[in-house]
Amino acid sequence: MTTTATPPTTTTPVKPAARRGAGLTRSVLSYALAVLLAFVVSGIVIAALGHSPVEAFRAILTTSFKSSFGFIETVQKWVPLVLLTLAFTIPLAAGKYNIGGEGQLLVGATAAAAVGITMKDAPMVVLLPLVLLVGVLAGGVYAWIAAWLMDRFGVNEILSTVLLNFVSFGIVDYVASEVWSDPAAGHPTTVPIGDGGLLPLVGTPPMHTGVLLALLVSAATVVVMRRTVPGYELRAVGTNPRAAQVHGVRIGRVAVGSLVVGGALAGFAGAIEVAGVHGKLIEGMQSNYLLLGIIIGLIARGNALAVPFVAFGIAVLEVGASAMQRTADVPSEMVLIVEALTLLFLLFSDVVGARLRRSSR
Amino acid sequence: MTSVDETRHEAREGASGPLLTMEGIRKTFGSVVALDGVDLTVGRSEVHGLLGGNGAGKTTLMNVLYGLYRPDGGSVVLDGSPVEIRDPRDAISHGIGMVHQNFLQVDTYTVTENVVLGTSLPSWPTVDLKEPAARIAELSERFGLTVDPGARVANLSVGLRQRVEILKALYRGAKVLVLDEPTTNLTPQEVDSLFGSLRAIVDEGMSVVFITHKIRETMAVCDALTVMRDGTRVGTVRRADTSAAELATLMVGDDAAVGRVTEVVTAGMGAAAGTAATGETARDLGDVPARVAVRDLVVLGDHGVPATHDVSFEVRRGEIVGIAGVAGNGQVELAEAVAGVRTLEGGSVDVDGQPLAGRPTAVWLESGVAYVPEDRHRDGILPSASIMENLVLGAQRSVRFRKGPFVDWSAARRHAEEAIRTYSVKASGPSAPAAALSGGNMQRVILARAFSHRPGFLILHNPTRGLDIPSTQFVYDRVREAAAEHSAVLLMSEDLDELTHLCDRVLVLYSGRVVGERTRGHYDQYELGHLMAGLEDTA
Repeated sequence: MTTTATPPTTTTPVKPAARRGAGLTRSVLSYALAVLLAFVVSGIVIAALGHSPVEAFRAILTTSFKSSFGFIETVQKWVPLVLLTLAFTIPLAAGKYNIGGEGQLLVGATAAAAVGITMKDAPMVVLLPLVLLVGVLAGGVYAWIAAWLMDRFGVNEILSTVLLNFVSFGIVDYVASEVWSDPAAGHPTTVPIGDGGLLPLVGTPPMHTGVLLALLVSAATVVVMRRTVPGYELRAVGTNPRAAQVHGVRIGRVAVGSLVVGGALAGFAGAIEVAGVHGKLIEGMQSNYLLLGIIIGLIARGNALAVPFVAFGIAVLEVGASAMQRTADVPSEMVLIVEALTLLFLLFSDVVGARLRRSSR
Repeated sequence: MTSVDETRHEAREGASGPLLTMEGIRKTFGSVVALDGVDLTVGRSEVHGLLGGNGAGKTTLMNVLYGLYRPDGGSVVLDGSPVEIRDPRDAISHGIGMVHQNFLQVDTYTVTENVVLGTSLPSWPTVDLKEPAARIAELSERFGLTVDPGARVANLSVGLRQRVEILKALYRGAKVLVLDEPTTNLTPQEVDSLFGSLRAIVDEGMSVVFITHKIRETMAVCDALTVMRDGTRVGTVRRADTSAAELATLMVGDDAAVGRVTEVVTAGMGAAAGTAATGETARDLGDVPARVAVRDLVVLGDHGVPATHDVSFEVRRGEIVGIAGVAGNGQVELAEAVAGVRTLEGGSVDVDGQPLAGRPTAVWLESGVAYVPEDRHRDGILPSASIMENLVLGAQRSVRFRKGPFVDWSAARRHAEEAIRTYSVKASGPSAPAAALSGGNMQRVILARAFSHRPGFLILHNPTRGLDIPSTQFVYDRVREAAAEHSAVLLMSEDLDELTHLCDRVLVLYSGRVVGERTRGHYDQYELGHLMAGLEDTA
C-alpha cells in the first residue's frame, strides 16, 4: 500500500456507501410503513369494537410526552425492555435462542433482593454495587445452566431456557411468601431491601439512575459486537459455525459465552427493577418483558444499534396502554396487537421487497 | 415406453437429418445471461462433446433440454419435429435421458428398484421385478454396463452407481443420453470402460451428449464437439478435423490468454496415448528436511467409525505432495485432521518439529497450518459478512488485526484492498458481501486468507472444483509459488491430471489407507487408477 491507488480502488469505496445509503432509506421506509399499517389495522379493530381510534391513539402516543411523569415512567420501562432484548439478541447473533430472559431476570432480582435484605444495614457504597453485581452474576449463572446442558449433553437451549423460567417462578414464590415474606402486602412480596441498596434518584420528577446504567450497557454492546474480537467471533459463529470452527474459533465456548452474557444482562435488569423501581421482590414483576424483548429484538433484526430505539418505541406504547384504557375505554391489550402487527408487517415487507427486487431484474 | 429395439428401428428407418437440434437457446437468471442464443446440433449415432470451462453454460444448456430450466427463448427439434419440454417428465417421454453429476438414488434400494422407480410397472399394482430385472441385466450386458441388478445401491462404488444412472436412462428408452462431467471421480480404468459403453450405445443408434472440461476426454471419445464459452457457442468441429491446441484456443478465447492458461486445458494431455507415464522428471528438492510429519494417523468419520487407518507421510520444505483417491475414501477426514479441525483418534502430526495433536485449532493456525477446504460454502466463508471480515477470519487474534481487545478494522480494510488487488478478486470493494462473489472469486478470497497466514503447511482439498479456466490457472500458479517459498503443500484432488501435473509425489488413499506412492517421473495414470480401485500394488 505504498503506491497510489489504482483507478478501480478509487472508485470502489463510493459504491458501497451509496448502496448502504439506499439500503438505509429502504429499511426506514419499510419500518415506517409497517408501523403505519399496524396502526391502521388496529384502528379498524378499535372502531369495530365501538370505540374511537383517534382518541385511543392520542392516549397511546401522547402519554409519554404530555407530562414529565409520563416520560420518566417511559424511560424506566425502557430499562428492562432494552436489557431483556439484548439478553435475546446477543445469543441470537451466535445462532442460539435464549427464551429464558424472564427466568434470568427473576433469579437476578431474587439474588439482588436477598443481598439487599440480609445486609440491609450496610452503607450504600458497599450494598448498592453488591446488589447489582449479585443480580448480574445470578442471571449469568442461571443462563449457564442451560448453556452447560447444551454444550455438554446437546440439550436444546430453547427448551431448557423456557423450562427454567418455570423453575424461577417457584423460586420467587418461595422467597416472597416463605423466606422474607411481607405479610402486610397481601400478595407474595418480600420485605423492602436496605436503603443503601436503592439506586439513587436524579432530577424532578425523580428518575432512578439504572436508566443511565442501561444506556451505558447498550452503548457498550454496540462497541463489543462491532469492534472487539469476541464480538467478531460471535458474529462469525452466527453466520457460519462450520467456517468459524475450521478457522480456529471455539464455537462451543462462544455459544456458551453468549448465553451467559445474555443471562447476566437479564439478571442486571432484575437487580435494577429491585434496586430502582420496587425496592423489593414482587411476584409477577417480570411483567411480559420476555415476550416484548423478543418482539423488539426481531423488529430490530438483532441489530444492537437499533435495539435501544425500538425498545423506546415499545416503551411508549406500553406506557400509553393504560392511559388508553382510562380515557378511551379500549382494553390495554390492544397495544400488544399493535406491536404484533408491526412485527408481522415488517416481516411481510421483507417478502414483498424480495419479490419486487426479483421481478425488477 | 419406447424400448431400445424400437429406437434402433426408428434410427434405421428415420430421416437422415440430425437427431437433435437446439436453436437460439437463451436463458437468463436475474441480470446474468447464462445462455445467449446457443445452437447445438447432435447427429445420429454420435458422441457429441460439449466442451468448455466451468461457468461456460454447458450444464445449463443441458438442463434446458432436460426440462429443469425453462428457456427464455429458442427452440428444440427432436427427430425432425419441434418439441416443447416443460419438465423432466416431458423430456423422458421424448427420449431424453440425463445423468447428473450428483446421483439421486435411494441407497437402501436395489439396482432394479432404483431403475424402475418412477416408471409404470407392467405388474401394477403389485410389484413384480422379475421382468424389469431381466431387462436391466440384458441392457447392462449389451452395453458393457456390468452391474448386479440385485445389489443394494449403498454398497456400490461411484463407478457402478454411475452405470445405474445410465441404465435408468436406457431403461426409460433414451434416444439422447446426456452425461454431465461423467468422469469425475472415476479411475482411468473406469473411464475407459465408460467410453467403451458410450461407443456401444451410439452403435445401437442412440446419441450421447458428453459434457466435459477436459480436452483429452473429448479427443478420446467424441465424434463431434461443440465448444462453449461465457454462455455462447464458439464453435462446432469434427474430432477428426481438429487438434487439442485448436480446442484450447476455442475454450479460452483470447489468444494472449491461451499462453497463460494452457497448463490447465492441456493438463494430463500427455497421457492421451494411454500408456506412457505422465509428467516430467522429478524436481530436485535437494536434501531438505521434512516440515510436516504425519504418523500413524487414525481419525474417526462422522459416524464414529475410523475413516483413516495408520496414515503416515512426510512433506518436505517446498514439496507438493498429492493425495489421490476416489471421493469417500477418507479424504475429508484426513484433510480436516491434518488441518487441526478434526480430533485425532490416534497418531501424531508435527509441523516444523512441533507436535500439534490434541491442541486447539487456533494453535495449529498459529503454527503455520493453512487449510483451503473442499466445500467453500460450508467450510470456507461467512456468507453475509464482507470480504474484509472474511479475510480476518482465523487471524482475528493475531497482532496484525488487533489493537488490545479490539479488531483493527482499518488494518483489515487496508489488507483487504491489497488482497483484492493482488488476487484479482472481482468485487465492488472490501465491504462487498462474500455471498455475492462467484465461485472463482470466492476461492481467490479463501486463498488470499490462507496465504496471508504465511503457511508453513498448506492443505488444499479440491481447490479448483467448479472454477473457470483463469481461476484454475491462478490456483496452480499460487500453489507453485507457495512451494517455491518453502511451504510444505498437501494437495488432495479428485482430478488425477491435476495431481500428476502439480505434485512431486502422489500418495493413493483407498479405504482410509495409503496403498501406494509414486514420484514425479514415474506417474502412470492407469497404475494410479489401479491403486485407487483398491487393487494390489503391483510395483
